[in-house]
Amino acid sequence: MSILDKLYEKAKQNPQRVAFPEATNEKMMQAAYETGKDGYIVPILVGDADEIKKLVAERGYDENVFKIVDINEEGYKAELIEKYVALPTSLLKEKALNRRMANPLYYAMVMQAVDEADVTFAGIDNTTGDVLLAGQMIIGMKPGIKTISSIGLCDIPGYEGSEGSLLAVGDSAVCTNPSAEELASIAISACDTVSTLLDWEPRCAMVCYSTLGSGQGELIDKVTEALKIANEQRPDLNIDGEFQLDAAIVPEVAAKKVKRESKVAGKANVVIWPDLNVGNVAVKLIQQFGHANAYGPMLQGFNKIVCDCSRGAPVSEIKGNVVISAVRAAGSKK
Amino acid sequence: MDRKELEAKVIELVAMSYNKDASELSVDTNMKEELGGASVIMVGLVSEIENELDVLVPLPVAAACKTIGELCDKVEEQM
Repeated sequence: MSILDKLYEKAKQNPQRVAFPEATNEKMMQAAYETGKDGYIVPILVGDADEIKKLVAERGYDENVFKIVDINEEGYKAELIEKYVALPTSLLKEKALNRRMANPLYYAMVMQAVDEADVTFAGIDNTTGDVLLAGQMIIGMKPGIKTISSIGLCDIPGYEGSEGSLLAVGDSAVCTNPSAEELASIAISACDTVSTLLDWEPRCAMVCYSTLGSGQGELIDKVTEALKIANEQRPDLNIDGEFQLDAAIVPEVAAKKVKRESKVAGKANVVIWPDLNVGNVAVKLIQQFGHANAYGPMLQGFNKIVCDCSRGAPVSEIKGNVVISAVRAAGSKK
Repeated sequence: MDRKELEAKVIELVAMSYNKDASELSVDTNMKEELGGASVIMVGLVSEIENELDVLVPLPVAAACKTIGELCDKVEEQM
């Protein structure tokens, strides 16, 4: 059974409410319908109800699979606004929020913020920037986290790491050139993501071109500073470094290069890149030469689960990401 | 609202978002070099501008402003 099959099974055990603000999009509606019909999620379509219902009928779907929320219905909207502005973390006041909620993306996130949905899933019509901005404005960031970032889950044929063929890596998609503080946040968020999604005990390596002082320079200084911040902020997590990639994931190399106690060296299941140049190239190397399936990017750092899929994503990929988001949402409630 | 009032209001909102004393800030304050901060602070600032001045300045536009004065220009354009 592949990791994705396992996640589908896990989602079915505790279906989460997923809000789709791009509900009229054909691919998005199909993904929402199929994952809803099979019991993996409870799909909530957010938008103009008349338009959505017309499209549901035209496309031959059973309307009963969906919960349809009409953004033009004033009563429910007023209820949501009242609950949202009462939250201690709310940034927008009533008038500004009312205006923003004409956009289904903001409407869906307000629903999520007040616990009327567990996940907001978008990105097929909205840009990544739109989703990140709405997420930061409405959902907000986790306390202590300095940046939104992402991780990907790589399933690498032939790789025999501490989690079999799986390795989580980040950030390969969002945060371009993180400061030390931001890099620490990426590592902390990544540990929380793999715990909630996969029930792993995270062993997170911060990698660069040096292992414990074997190299020197400002590129390494950033990583060691980030490690210090992450360890101070979350002493409960196993985050270690700075390691080269082989010292992080190969026990024999770790035995030679890491001459001190480490719960991470040689057996890392999460690898944190120093910046997006490394992250982007590394993921493409894993895919091209390692023939890996890479799942994600999974956004992290928000107070709740927000998912941004690729605008060119096929329905199968959207469904996989919907299910991953739902499992994360269920895991984060524990 | 005239320009002076607008500048005073924007400075007040910048001070609140960046946790600074408004008296330390002026229209010439360089937001990137002197204030720095993560993008989330800018999201907070844009939200406050929207709340208090009823003006929607897109985040990329606000983030591209070098000085508080430039930000005032962008707010004024949207009023």
